[in-house]
Amino acid sequence: MANKIEDELKKIVSTITEIPLDTLKPDADFFDDLKIDSMKAIEIVAAFEKKYKIVIPEEEIPKMRSLSKIIAFAKDKIK
Amino acid sequence: MDDKKIVITGIGVVAPNGIGKEKFWDALKNGSSGIKPISRFDTSEFKCKLAGEVSDFKPADYLGEKGLRELDRSSRFLCAAAKLAIEDAGLSITEENTDSIGVCTGTTLSSLWNIAEYDREVIKDGPLFTDAGVFSGTVANAASSRVSILFNIQGFNATISTGYTSSIEAIRYAANFIQSGRVHAVLVGGVESISPASFTGFYRLGFLAGLKGEEVSCPFDRRRNGIILGEGSGVIVLEGEAHAKGRKAHIYAEVKGAASAFDAYKLGKYQPQGKGLHQSIRSVLSRSRIRPEQIDCVQASANSVKEHDRIETAVLREVFAKPADGVAITAVKSMLGESFSAAGLFQVISSLGSIQEGFIPAVVNYTEKDPDCDLHYVTNTLHSRKASNVLISSFGPGGNNAALLLSKYQ
Repeated sequence: MANKIEDELKKIVSTITEIPLDTLKPDADFFDDLKIDSMKAIEIVAAFEKKYKIVIPEEEIPKMRSLSKIIAFAKDKIK
Repeated sequence: MDDKKIVITGIGVVAPNGIGKEKFWDALKNGSSGIKPISRFDTSEFKCKLAGEVSDFKPADYLGEKGLRELDRSSRFLCAAAKLAIEDAGLSITEENTDSIGVCTGTTLSSLWNIAEYDREVIKDGPLFTDAGVFSGTVANAASSRVSILFNIQGFNATISTGYTSSIEAIRYAANFIQSGRVHAVLVGGVESISPASFTGFYRLGFLAGLKGEEVSCPFDRRRNGIILGEGSGVIVLEGEAHAKGRKAHIYAEVKGAASAFDAYKLGKYQPQGKGLHQSIRSVLSRSRIRPEQIDCVQASANSVKEHDRIETAVLREVFAKPADGVAITAVKSMLGESFSAAGLFQVISSLGSIQEGFIPAVVNYTEKDPDCDLHYVTNTLHSRKASNVLISSFGPGGNNAALLLSKYQ
């Protein structure tokens, strides 16, 4: 289950950032390393919420700065 | 910046019958229609099946793969046409000149698909779980903004949404910007894309051809009974003369003048005497200091709607004392369908073909004469004639009317 979610999230981030799956590093910071804009970051969060029907609290959104952080959050919420 | 004379220096077009000026002009010369069975959505439940749909369009060929997923269909059309126009004009957009270049786009229905898609998701998945990426394409100025972002154009960005006349109004607006000295050049575009929302809307209102007769776009023909929807995009580079000459640009034509008039009558009905259209044409002729007999060609707005083509004929008859003797009247909507806010730009780019290449496209599908429409139409066969002055007319049942005059540059 956890691996499936990880794979799905990777795909979402890869699609939105247009970074191929095999080169997408889980710890890369969206802003500092991947240089994506804030609209895309919001799109990633919104796509995650849509996929799992989970609303991420406002105060948590700024913390979602990398794929691994989203995966950690997802693993905690989706049991 | 003080440029009073406005010229056209670049052309980009994504039309149902050809992409790029050469293919579009060739299609017009050959009478090759872009009207075909709709493939984008299911029409099996409808009596009408046709549209001027843009097919064989590969946006990546023009815009590359990267970033393409963010662009909705209308934005892809407009950005591809803009790219072609910029290249055609040889216009280089740099940090130094970006503030003196603008974007102005006519569009009315182009975001309907995204609005419907966004609403569908709200209903299906709940309002908290919509796709944030779709939202940006739901606004009317989405496509125009994409052009500014993609090509880093920062002078100004405006969207004109007056239905049928939007393209011509966009040219007028852009010309004013150049003449007032605020910018040197403007990418003026028109764009629409067909969607189930627009198709069913016009179907339910009884506006589509095929509901009360044959499903054909045949302007001025006795059989005409409604529009066939069209889509696509046209973009031109509009420039002040001095600026264009300064960078040694090729000049296709001069925009002699543009005018518009509003004559709202009743909801969804034409003003029966074409008062506003008459006023627009008279006004553009007088502003341009061109006499009716100096006009070689009229790019008519005629779209195969009974009342529309009758009114346009009556107005042209009044303006041109002896139309059969001189002016050649054509209607490209016979090949493209009615593409609303993009239509004016298609008419303009066709006119540039008349001025540049010396051809006047035929009104295709014309077979039966209507006593209400008895002018000198170029019917079914191409007319070879170098045009020096082309009048473009544009109007619809909402009360908006516009006219534009293009002249050979001298």
